[in-house]
Amino acid sequence: MNNNKVGRRDFIKLAAVGTAVTTITIAAKRNPSEAPAETSPHSWAMVIDQAKCVGCGECSLACQAHNDTRENAPWNRMIELEPLNGKPVYAPVPCMHCENAPCVDICPVGATYHRADGIVMMDYEKCIGCRYCQLACPYGARTFNWEKHTGPNSAVPEWGEPEVERRPRGVAEKCTFCYHRIDRGLAEGLTPGVDRQATPACVAACPTGARIFGDLNDPESPVSKALAKYPSTQLRRDLGTNPRVYYLPARREEEEPLS
Amino acid sequence: MNMTMTPKIKLHRAAFPLWIGLLVLLMATGLTAGIIVLLQGLVVTNLTDLVPWGLWIGIDLSAIALSAGAFTLSAAVYLLGWKHLQPIARTAVFVGLLGYSMAMLCLFMDIGRPDRFWHAVAYWNVHSPLWEVTMCVMLYFTVLSLEVAPIFGEASWFKARWPKIAERLHHIHKFAPILAIAGLAFSLLHQSSLGATYGVLKSRPIWYKPSLAVLFIVSAVIGGLALTVLASKLAALFSERANVRDEIIDKVSQAIGWMLLGYLYLRFWDTLGMEYTIEPGRTEGLHILTTGALSFNFWIGELLLGIFIPAIILVTGRLRRQPRLLLLALILTVGGLVAYRWDTNIVGQMVAFSYLPTQIEPLYTAYTPSLIEVLVGLGVIAYGLLAFTLGVRYLRIVDHSMVPEAVEEPVMSEPVTAVSH
Repeated sequence: MNNNKVGRRDFIKLAAVGTAVTTITIAAKRNPSEAPAETSPHSWAMVIDQAKCVGCGECSLACQAHNDTRENAPWNRMIELEPLNGKPVYAPVPCMHCENAPCVDICPVGATYHRADGIVMMDYEKCIGCRYCQLACPYGARTFNWEKHTGPNSAVPEWGEPEVERRPRGVAEKCTFCYHRIDRGLAEGLTPGVDRQATPACVAACPTGARIFGDLNDPESPVSKALAKYPSTQLRRDLGTNPRVYYLPARREEEEPLS
Repeated sequence: MNMTMTPKIKLHRAAFPLWIGLLVLLMATGLTAGIIVLLQGLVVTNLTDLVPWGLWIGIDLSAIALSAGAFTLSAAVYLLGWKHLQPIARTAVFVGLLGYSMAMLCLFMDIGRPDRFWHAVAYWNVHSPLWEVTMCVMLYFTVLSLEVAPIFGEASWFKARWPKIAERLHHIHKFAPILAIAGLAFSLLHQSSLGATYGVLKSRPIWYKPSLAVLFIVSAVIGGLALTVLASKLAALFSERANVRDEIIDKVSQAIGWMLLGYLYLRFWDTLGMEYTIEPGRTEGLHILTTGALSFNFWIGELLLGIFIPAIILVTGRLRRQPRLLLLALILTVGGLVAYRWDTNIVGQMVAFSYLPTQIEPLYTAYTPSLIEVLVGLGVIAYGLLAFTLGVRYLRIVDHSMVPEAVEEPVMSEPVTAVSH
């Protein structure tokens, strides 16, 4: 006690403890999801043709049924915009699956991440429910499970059957591009965007063909063709997020209709 | 070195048990409310998908900022060698430990899955400011625990009961300089990153600027020092077991005054500079601060009462040496910091900006905490006050008559008048 200097022994002890702590944390940090990302031949994207969208909301109902979402927390929101030439204009807004996704950047535990095919995923087992992603998302795509989702789903069975489990209380959730349909379809040799069963539920349900889905890496896919043929835009391009959801703006009457 | 005794305010004999009783009652209600939150989920709060961070985050931010006295004074004593500040650094680390435990309690309540609080340690996203904050808070809490451990080791009742453990705890004190370096590093990192947590978000334009990190660390140092001095002064006023040296109080208070003026300059330009460009979302947010719902908080709470008036009192010796004005200035400084944290957290959430091409009007939101949120918050604050009260009484947290612990060499050249306890 009289010698108040930090001795060599103490220093070595301290260094040893420090090294041990660092080693343990680095070891603990290693987990499967941080393994080198697998590559994918696909790059999924969605095109929403505002000239064709009539705002019927069937996409939202199909989504609510297939993804078993709460009625007051839709993954696909239907927003009415200012009319053009007296005709109403709608913007259905799902998760944009941004290439530079703010939510993926800032999730403290890496519970939201990119798949190799570009889909922004949610790991409900990892999420701690801090809701930072809700603040970070510029598109308001994320909803939080404030309470346990119980009771019937009003869109079932009319608009489809639930294909995924309900999320637990206390985690964030959002549109997944129906990755389960894509993966299942690919395993069965189907083509997402062409075959209904392999295509996101909202796209499959759209009665006017306003929603198009497919692989940007395939020049023959419906999305590649639509984007090659018509001028398109993304929401808030200025943010640099580079969404995978493209919009074909509502056109004037005299313009050539799509397909 | 003359020891000026702060004149005590004579309290009624029942005052102490009543005070403790009130705090215990608030803690019990808070605990009950907390259990309701854990059982029923965050649905019992008034938080929404548009305003997901509310009162508890406000308390968490304030508690962390007001704990910054610990790293500041530890660095001053053990790194700059300003050993005359050691008695108040001792108070600061104890207040810091309480502040961080309060913050962690709030976060525990606030996250949707409290059972997964450890995920930040297991699953790293080194790119996330919030991950960095979480790691630093946990590591710094460890540092603070080690810094506070010798205080237990020195308490006479502790020594009498567990002499061996007391010896070990006291022994930790010789690592004080190393702990001060660690504390300085962790604190500079996470106090700034808490600002950056907001500052990196482009989605809420009023937050999106690098200066938030700077303002957070600067305001935290000021608020943390102010709370340390305020707590010391109040303890010395009310408790027989606390005493302060007025020259230490005076020196730190004067420093707070000058720092407040610097902070006023930063805050003024950082905020009002935004008036000169129109940017969707950000401009609306600024107007909420300057003319809207938060304008009273901003002009009166933050700038006038929180910075300007206390700065004038604290830099002017004649005013500062009047005990009542000093107390007032310190209370205002602490209040100003809380107002700044509250406004910052809320203002960005009050404007959900437009992401659709033809939708120009931004969406305005509102938030008032629910009763459950208030009760949990009061419970956490009561816990901090109770722990401080007990610390003053049983650990002599505020005791400037103690001979500063010689860290490297004896520093006391003048005898210190021993105060009879």
